[in-house]
Amino acid sequence: MTRFLSLILIVSISASCSDNTSDPLVQQSTELALKATDTAAETPAARTAGYNEERNAYFGDLHVHTMYSFDAFIFGTTSSPSDAYTFAKGGKITHPAGFDMQLDVPLDFYGVTDHAFYLGVLREMANPLSEISKHEVAAGMSTLGGAIQRGEKFNEILAFLRSPRANEVNDPVIGKSAWQDIIATANRHNDPGNFTTFIGYEYTATYSDGGNLHRNVIYRDDVAPELPFSRLDSANPEDLWDWMDANRERGFESLAIPHNSNGSNGSMFMMTDFSGNPLDGAYADQRMRNEPLVEITQVKGTSDTHPALSPNDEWADFEIMPFQVASFRSSQPNGSYVREAYLNGLKNEEENGANPYKFGIIGSSDTHNATYAGDEDDYWSKVGLRDSDGVRRGSVPLREPRAPGENYAETYFNTWSASGLAGVWAEENTRASIFDSFRRKETFGTSGTRMRVRFFAGYDLPLIDDNDLITKAYENGVAMGSDLLASAGKEPEFIAWVSRDPNSAALQRLQIIKGWMEDGEAMEEVYDVACSDGGSVDPITHRCPDNGAQVNLDDCSITRGLGAAELRANWKDPDYDVSQNAFYYVRAMENPTCRWSTWDAIRAGVEPRPDMAATLQERAWSSPIWITPVR
Amino acid sequence: MGRLVTQPLVWFVIISLSIFGLDNLIPEGRDEIFVSAAQKDRIALLWKTQTGKDASIQELDSLVKNWIEEEVLFRQALRLGLDQDDSIVRRRLVQKLGFIAEAQMGPEPEYAELESYYSQNILDYTLPLRYSFRQLYFLDQATANAQVSQAKLGNNISSSGTTSMLNDSYAFRSELDIDATFGSGFSLKLNGLPVGEWQGPIESSFGYHLIYLTSIHAEEAAPLKSVLDSVGSDYQQFQKLNARQRYVDALLDDYLIRYEEL
Repeated sequence: MTRFLSLILIVSISASCSDNTSDPLVQQSTELALKATDTAAETPAARTAGYNEERNAYFGDLHVHTMYSFDAFIFGTTSSPSDAYTFAKGGKITHPAGFDMQLDVPLDFYGVTDHAFYLGVLREMANPLSEISKHEVAAGMSTLGGAIQRGEKFNEILAFLRSPRANEVNDPVIGKSAWQDIIATANRHNDPGNFTTFIGYEYTATYSDGGNLHRNVIYRDDVAPELPFSRLDSANPEDLWDWMDANRERGFESLAIPHNSNGSNGSMFMMTDFSGNPLDGAYADQRMRNEPLVEITQVKGTSDTHPALSPNDEWADFEIMPFQVASFRSSQPNGSYVREAYLNGLKNEEENGANPYKFGIIGSSDTHNATYAGDEDDYWSKVGLRDSDGVRRGSVPLREPRAPGENYAETYFNTWSASGLAGVWAEENTRASIFDSFRRKETFGTSGTRMRVRFFAGYDLPLIDDNDLITKAYENGVAMGSDLLASAGKEPEFIAWVSRDPNSAALQRLQIIKGWMEDGEAMEEVYDVACSDGGSVDPITHRCPDNGAQVNLDDCSITRGLGAAELRANWKDPDYDVSQNAFYYVRAMENPTCRWSTWDAIRAGVEPRPDMAATLQERAWSSPIWITPVR
Repeated sequence: MGRLVTQPLVWFVIISLSIFGLDNLIPEGRDEIFVSAAQKDRIALLWKTQTGKDASIQELDSLVKNWIEEEVLFRQALRLGLDQDDSIVRRRLVQKLGFIAEAQMGPEPEYAELESYYSQNILDYTLPLRYSFRQLYFLDQATANAQVSQAKLGNNISSSGTTSMLNDSYAFRSELDIDATFGSGFSLKLNGLPVGEWQGPIESSFGYHLIYLTSIHAEEAAPLKSVLDSVGSDYQQFQKLNARQRYVDALLDDYLIRYEEL
């Protein structure tokens, strides 16, 4: 009780100090309170039990929304950041539609990334006692009903957000208290050696015409700035980088990860800066310092490449989401896909002396249910009550057609994917070790399954069956995400290696994708480098023979006995030219399996929707290795 | 006139006039506003954090003038009771005090406190059944069978097997870890294997494995020492949640709550 008396004393003394509106004593105690929650999790100095100098593959999701995101809350999500971490560690949580969600295999790391603007605000609007519930845009928030009403409310809030009045409901007091909970919860669930959490948030800016410029900001340590930088501070990502740079000076190390470039209508990987100037060295340095990684795949589609951009890549038509984010407006492929950005980076390097697009690759989900959703046969999509079953997400016909011949719900959810995992090679499962791998770009992305991909380049690499392969590859070469200098008279060697997900289909083929500049032209080529089932690569077409793996669409069973547990190759580029500026990355492909929409249809006892792919080949993409000519 | 009365602006003017009129009736001496050096520094620092630049002398003068005006308005607002029945002010004050209450978690917990929290929540610190083992991987069953027979004859087979991304040995792996690495259901097949000899082959989705269990670690509580950090942070969270409630309860002791009879 004396403790409380002294507290009251402090408060009453400070209340009587009339020369200061912002009470210093109260302020100080508040800061102390916040600090105390921040430092809950300390990184132990000692190595954890799983420490491995040759590095382990860890899998995680760095794009997770909870009840604090304005849209997630409208969609019915009441799961908290703590629920999200509980789920990632293998726990069971409930979907707003009432079913349980649980992972077969827990994840190694997870980062909650709620939208910075309106952080926690919509949830507060639903509280009829709150001041903000009286704002006109809050009307109906406490009594949201079905999927259609929630969809309408979402569009209404989006329209308000894009209006000049957007700031009216961006209450920083609500935002701060949500942000403090996000930070404290991440720190509480961080468990070095077993499970890593990252403090983070989503910067949700759009380019003038609505092109998506979204990024997730991920912090390395257990502290973060007082409030996140949001689209209401600036719609220009260059201002975000300035803010991140300034905070880095203050000890808040972070990186930003762009996502859904596919839905950006060409604005994610532009060839000018935000104000239309050429991309110079200063721009490239700042962008790469702050954005070493890009999310290549997620529920809203895959951004590797597009059939219009890569007409000679037979696998380019993979989980293409053709729209601008949250709309039915089409998104132009140019400037929207990763492979083209790599090529444009090389082009910019030749023209302006700097490559602003030298980023590594991860996948993540962008779930708005707090729960990673990457299993085709256990899919709940990502926007709560709006897409919680096959009818709502357009894979199962409506009970009554909307109009003659219009048998499915009018929605874009049918263009979405059960996708998005981030893979990293790190010594141990700790924040420091995994964040270092982000910085090194020793990362890969998968379409949801847990393939493990290794990729090295060098001039004296070991043979692929060497017992000390990895040690020697690190010693004599560089790993994915790195640069290798071209060397006159020498040809670079590559090691590509993939190991299957034991709980998914076996592997079909292993590829290396090359992009390069030739006489000022951007070129690309897909090389198969290892085939399953005893096949060998045709030296003219660079293709493996078809291994004949099939899917039975009656029950989703797959051909038994086909495919490989591992595929690996020592490889040299048959078209190597020492003067070329080039990049190489790995794409590993599983045998075909049923897509989520086919599982939906089978479970509903109907035919798979004819205009959707019935099967897909789950795949992984490594970060590239760039081979730079000596100039 | 009827239309005029419904105009919000008209009402605003009437209310404002009456507040100012009321105000003029209050007799007052001249209160002092003291601009301390510390206050001036705070204003300058705030400017710097917002703009990234030091305030010039003119800027600082103008900032201080602004602050004085704000202070006068603030005091007058308090005097007029404008903070009463304002839910934003009310929420902010309650939230501030809430933060302070949560910070009142007392001194660093004694070891004995942590010990008792740990034993009351022992399930949170219980490690599951774990295995430590060596592993050899074969693509075909016949080779795996031949190697395990060699081992039973006493021959060293540890250099046999195909290289793969799987490790040669694993330490302290739970059933969940093992299933994540070798595929669902694999850990079940380790159940009951003897320790200290090559066994198998055991089939997985990779192929065939020979397993040499080096030890089995039964489900056990992690020693407090090894989980002290996480017990500490869990206890802190527990205390934080409690601190506010205890604070509210202590304050409530000083109040008599009466309800209007209906």
